[in-house]
Amino acid sequence: MSGIDWAVLVCTLVVIVVYGIYKSRGEQNIDGYLLGNQSLPWYHVCLSVMATQASAITFLSAPGLAYSSGMSFVQFYFGLPLAMIVLCITFVPIFHRLKVYTAYEYLENRFDFKTRALTAFLFLVQRGLSTGITIYAPSIILSTILDINTTYTTLFIGGLVIFYTVYGGTKAVSYTQMLQMSIIFCGLFAAGVMVVHLLPADIGFGKALSIAGKMGRTNAIDFTFDLDNPYTVWTGLIGGFFLQLSYFGTDQSQVGRYLSGASVSQSRLGLLMNGMVKIPMQFLILMIGVLVFTFYQYNKPPIFFNSFELNKLEKSSYAPELNTLKTDYDQAFKDKQLEINKLNTALDQDHQGSIDQQRLAVKAADDKEKAIRTKVTDLMVKNDEHANTKDNNYIFLSFVTQYLPKGLIGLLIAIIFLASMGSTASALNSLASTTVVDIYKRLISKDGSAGEYLLASRMATVFWGLVCIVMALFASKIGNLLEAVNILGSYIYGTILGVFLVAFYVKQVGGKAVFYAAILAEIAVVICGQMELVAYLWLNVIGCLLVILFGLLIQGVIGKKKTAEVANSGL
Amino acid sequence: MPNSEPQQDLPPFVKSWKQFYRLLIGWLIFLIVIFYAFTKYFE
Repeated sequence: MSGIDWAVLVCTLVVIVVYGIYKSRGEQNIDGYLLGNQSLPWYHVCLSVMATQASAITFLSAPGLAYSSGMSFVQFYFGLPLAMIVLCITFVPIFHRLKVYTAYEYLENRFDFKTRALTAFLFLVQRGLSTGITIYAPSIILSTILDINTTYTTLFIGGLVIFYTVYGGTKAVSYTQMLQMSIIFCGLFAAGVMVVHLLPADIGFGKALSIAGKMGRTNAIDFTFDLDNPYTVWTGLIGGFFLQLSYFGTDQSQVGRYLSGASVSQSRLGLLMNGMVKIPMQFLILMIGVLVFTFYQYNKPPIFFNSFELNKLEKSSYAPELNTLKTDYDQAFKDKQLEINKLNTALDQDHQGSIDQQRLAVKAADDKEKAIRTKVTDLMVKNDEHANTKDNNYIFLSFVTQYLPKGLIGLLIAIIFLASMGSTASALNSLASTTVVDIYKRLISKDGSAGEYLLASRMATVFWGLVCIVMALFASKIGNLLEAVNILGSYIYGTILGVFLVAFYVKQVGGKAVFYAAILAEIAVVICGQMELVAYLWLNVIGCLLVILFGLLIQGVIGKKKTAEVANSGL
Repeated sequence: MPNSEPQQDLPPFVKSWKQFYRLLIGWLIFLIVIFYAFTKYFE
């Protein structure tokens, strides 16, 4: 990175952190620290929920996913607008009316403490683990730039986020997220323009998409009904709906965002606008990945995008074999370029027969290149069995640092930091809220002072920050981080959503029934997930429906028992 | 749906929350159609 890039990066981070600390000044109680005194307008709520969901992973993994397998991932978000509608009709008015700090607090009013504690526990486990991955993602950046192990970069970034979050309460988090999202939109737009600009002179935007399309990368929509495919319209609409509804309705990191809205209307408006903007935004991020893919059809990509792992192999005893593979790779790339140029000509001539023929030729050349890359990763494992052989998350990063102009590199890296800071800050804040409100305040100190609860919230933030750092240190063994977070969420969200839906809509089911139903449903979800019976998004549907079904069955049995007891006592 | 829907603070382009919900569903259908056309055009 050049001096200008470092200046842009440091200035952006300093401004955001100072702004966050400035906005958090004077918070004397947990009303302000955890709920921001419920004073924020709809656009704060909208940008805040977007910033919470769009972590650094979104900007690192999504373009990498589009590069490797196309744009089908956009369908994952199709259930989001529908989920926003259900939230606005049911969850938002109820949470606002009851003036709860956390979503789980409501469950004690409706059922009992053990149901509240169970859902709070599931949330703490899920959010604690996934926030670890959220911290790890941007640490990859520093690792690549400084050429040091991700362990040190994870520790540095985790420490920075804890520092920022402990001082910034919910209000500061929301204010900084608004600033962060504005910078993110500008930076992504600039990156998209630059990718097109860097393509060869005769390859415009449309042609770039045509070439990527012929190589299977513009596959945004898939109407086939395949339970094993995680990215189809139906999986997105049904599975995605349940996942998004659980995420926004029952995950405190999001509930805390829209509970800070000044009124029910402001919270609703923020969520509905999120429903409008999220899918196009994700589509554009994936499109950047597709354009990067086309760019690398004309510019030789690295044999492996993770330069840290590649350097390790270059310094090992396997270096001669790696050099041979590099020579083969150079030749394979040249062969592929010839085929792509022929495809380009066929596209210009609009001759379908030639296009189909060239498509197959390009695919064969691409497969040859992939086979060489597989040999490289095999060598990495031979050299170090713990080597990270997945490089999806490095693709966009590698492109940014090698090809974008000075200044823009710093801005894009700042964006990844900002996104991470935003979502991690929300997550740590929500973990602290749940720990203090649902556990500390409920079980340990019921009548504490405002200062005591504020201190407990800050200490809980530090504790969870440290837990998340430890989790982040294990995240390097996971392939695509974005998928990993979603898979983890799918194991737990469905069950929690089921509990909330029973609470809202199935009035005859009581606390005891729903508690055991949730435990049984969670066991069933884990079995389904481990046996890989269905694609992971369907686990949300299964978990949710099983809680409702088991709840009704158990309540039926309890009801019959009680009737029998009453009848017996009457005799 | 709650009986008393607060209708204040609505954006100027809708008259009720129900209308906003319908608009959002319409927007989703529009996006799916556009993305389908995109997929077919470039594949």
